[in-house]
Amino acid sequence: MISIVSVAEWIIKSLVLITIILGGFAYLTLFERRALARMQARIGPNRAGPAGLLQPVADGIKLMFKEELIPDRADKVLFVLAPIITVVPVLLLLAVIPLGPDIEIFGQQFSLGLASEIDVGVLFILAVASIAVYGIVIAGWSSYSKYSLLGALRASAQMISYELALGLAIIGPILLAGSLSVADIVADQQRLWYVVLQPIGFLIFLIASMAEINRAPFDMSEAEQELTGGYHTEYSGMKFAVFFMAEYGKMIAVSFVAATLFLGGYWGPFVDRIALLGPIYLFAKVVAILFLMIWIRATWPRLRYDRLMAFGWKILLPVGLLNVVITGGLIVVLNL
Amino acid sequence: MTDKESPQVEGTTREPDSLEQHFPGILTPDEREGFDGYLVAPDKLTEFATRLRDEFGYDYLSSVTGVDYLPDEVMEVVYHAYRIEGGPALVFKTQVPRADPVVPSLVGVWPGADFQEREAWDLLGIRFTGHPNLRRILMWEGFEGHPLRKDWHEAYFEEDAKPFANRWPEGDVYRIEDKIPFGKNVQYPSEFTPEGWIPEGDEGLYAGLGQISNDGDGSSLKTDQLVVNLGPQHPSTHGVFRMVVTLDGETVTDLKPVMGYLHRNHEKIGERNTYIMNMPYTDRLDYLSSMSNNFGYALAVEKLMDIQPPERAEYIRVIMAELTRIVSHLWAIGFLLNDLGAFFTPALYAINERELILDVFEAVSGSRMMCNYFRFGGLARDLPPGTLQTIRELIFERLPRRVDELDIYLTENEIVRSRCIGVGVLSPEKAVAFSAAGPVLRASGIPYDVRRAEPYGIYDRFDFEVAVRYGGDVYDRYLVRLQEIRESIRIVQQAVDDIPEGEIQTGKPIFQVRVPAGEAYGRVENPKGELGFYVVSNGKPNPWRYHIRAPSFINLTALAEMCKGHKVADVVAILGSIDIILGEVDR
Repeated sequence: MISIVSVAEWIIKSLVLITIILGGFAYLTLFERRALARMQARIGPNRAGPAGLLQPVADGIKLMFKEELIPDRADKVLFVLAPIITVVPVLLLLAVIPLGPDIEIFGQQFSLGLASEIDVGVLFILAVASIAVYGIVIAGWSSYSKYSLLGALRASAQMISYELALGLAIIGPILLAGSLSVADIVADQQRLWYVVLQPIGFLIFLIASMAEINRAPFDMSEAEQELTGGYHTEYSGMKFAVFFMAEYGKMIAVSFVAATLFLGGYWGPFVDRIALLGPIYLFAKVVAILFLMIWIRATWPRLRYDRLMAFGWKILLPVGLLNVVITGGLIVVLNL
Repeated sequence: MTDKESPQVEGTTREPDSLEQHFPGILTPDEREGFDGYLVAPDKLTEFATRLRDEFGYDYLSSVTGVDYLPDEVMEVVYHAYRIEGGPALVFKTQVPRADPVVPSLVGVWPGADFQEREAWDLLGIRFTGHPNLRRILMWEGFEGHPLRKDWHEAYFEEDAKPFANRWPEGDVYRIEDKIPFGKNVQYPSEFTPEGWIPEGDEGLYAGLGQISNDGDGSSLKTDQLVVNLGPQHPSTHGVFRMVVTLDGETVTDLKPVMGYLHRNHEKIGERNTYIMNMPYTDRLDYLSSMSNNFGYALAVEKLMDIQPPERAEYIRVIMAELTRIVSHLWAIGFLLNDLGAFFTPALYAINERELILDVFEAVSGSRMMCNYFRFGGLARDLPPGTLQTIRELIFERLPRRVDELDIYLTENEIVRSRCIGVGVLSPEKAVAFSAAGPVLRASGIPYDVRRAEPYGIYDRFDFEVAVRYGGDVYDRYLVRLQEIRESIRIVQQAVDDIPEGEIQTGKPIFQVRVPAGEAYGRVENPKGELGFYVVSNGKPNPWRYHIRAPSFINLTALAEMCKGHKVADVVAILGSIDIILGEVDR
């Protein structure tokens, strides 16, 4: 039975999750620019507001008031649809992530998470995450531009090949927890984070997810130096901003998933006593992973497209398979 | 100085006898005053060039250019050929009537003549028979006339030579733009309407590309080629440069470079200017290495005037030229990494060091990039107090450490190695044939450096190695640059220790120099390669011909050769490894 309270609960939780992604996106861009600048012996944007804190606002206003150009021979419906298809799955991803242990308000139990108890949470993550590639392919196809087309081709090939490795990396935590529910996986990590039991799995997950979300050094599909902007070459104004939002939103979402599946989710010292520490720990872990991604972007050149594919199929996939076999075997032998 | 020049003089006096004996009837010495080299009959040119290359070892064609001798109604094509082992140039010329200038193309003998002959056709209207692709290269298709001809007048033409009478000496200044409003200054050919005109250049360009379509005979998929224009608006072409690329998937099957978007006809401007007015113009060629550009031009004009700068000036010149090399190579390495996708970090670290050297340039010349520091027979001004100490600190302490740091971070990086090794290979034979110069040539295993091969200034006094690598790929070009930075640091260290006190200018600095009639080819080893200035004087205050052998431009001849069969991403890396500056390519 659906009560008014639970509807209100869903709405509030959804708004919080969307705010996390959108606000996170805005300040992640600032964080990235400042962190990159520090690593590059620069200062970075510090003029808009105190310490540049209003920079995302300024960027947002600028992008909103930019002229929206649609190429003359583009497929207009698909051209407009593409950024939406890309961004919506990103907003959905956080739904299955538990942000903290259950808390009690006014004598009622609330779980910190929208749908973290659903039984197929991990499959949901995989399914939703892979929808985003359609947006990119459609954007490349509908733009009527060769750069966009090449970028979209690269993106589709890359995502398909890395999704396999990504799926294999996730199997480790599933086997260890014996459940497809994200809540169960987190609950099982109270004593020991899975990154200890699954170091290779974690590494594969990080690499494959960075390829999946087109982060450097795997940003082939938008490779500025080669394809000017890849699939979003022809986009401008708010549509471009939406692609941008999707990219950074994906960074945040993937960091949440990684923290949840491998770094113990919201667990940390004293969380079992003070429940509200949970979201803080989770946030810290997410920021750490985001910082790692930014750090990598600042330091590494881009792989070449064919090398990337070879790496995905010839190294990541076999290693991922081996990891699954060994994990499964050990679980059976040691009767975990 | 005299003992340095003596082998050169000896060389030029010894060569004529033997060469003339070998080519009886073909070769006549150029006996105009101030000129040297030989005149070759146009119909014997190919035979002469082939034998010159095969029998006499002149395998490196440095420069090809035309000169319009309007009073004599003669068009002359001037060739400067060198031996790759080193030594002075062999200059030979061929003269054709100005009304119908037709010269056999030497692309078959020296493929490096390709772009230079196209340039001569474009700007001077000399037709090269047998050239595989004789189209305009710097001007746009559909341009009417050949602008370097002496009787061609630009829009808003005032006079043939500066200073224009209305500005100097009376100073009754007006500009021709005020007298002829825009629109009336343009003359269209008859029956031409600008609105109805459709440019036809690109069809010819696309038609020249290799076709790879496959109609699919049942067994294979039907495929089509994809022609992609990388540029002129593209982040990785380092300016407005365009590569037309045919793709098979992601693999490049053919590539044609298109340049001229930044063309300003530097040479025509140079021929209107007085000699000294061109000095700041040379800054704008390869705008990262203005000091070396100054050096080349000063050398050419000093050869004509037959003067030598004083000792101290020579040392300062070497210090500045080598600092420029460090600046340019740091930039090149940083932006090569940027082209590989390393998001600006290496570039900014390199630029960090560059700024410190630019501080030195600012101190000595007043400008960070457009230095305009050299003068004929010396320098604009002496080093300000304390500058030598700044250079000393930089060159003995900071820079060597920073270069090592770059080396540690980049050289062994796995991604850099996998992206660069074996990519864009240019064989030594091809490198020489295509007249490649600078790090591109030396990375292909040819230890050819003008500083060693034909020392200019006081380079023969310094102890340094010519950096050379043998792979000919992007990685080796990077390593050669890194090594050259170290060698430049060594040279500056020696120069700073030995620099004498004294004058920095021979005689009084003069605004209007007197240049005797004649020709001179001054060449220096610029960071990008061999930069040559071919200057012809007729005794007037303005050069009659002012030609630049631009290394960035000629190095692009080999670009297509290097890129074929590689991926799109590699094209960008290869272009980055050639290290072009569009100000110099397009002039």
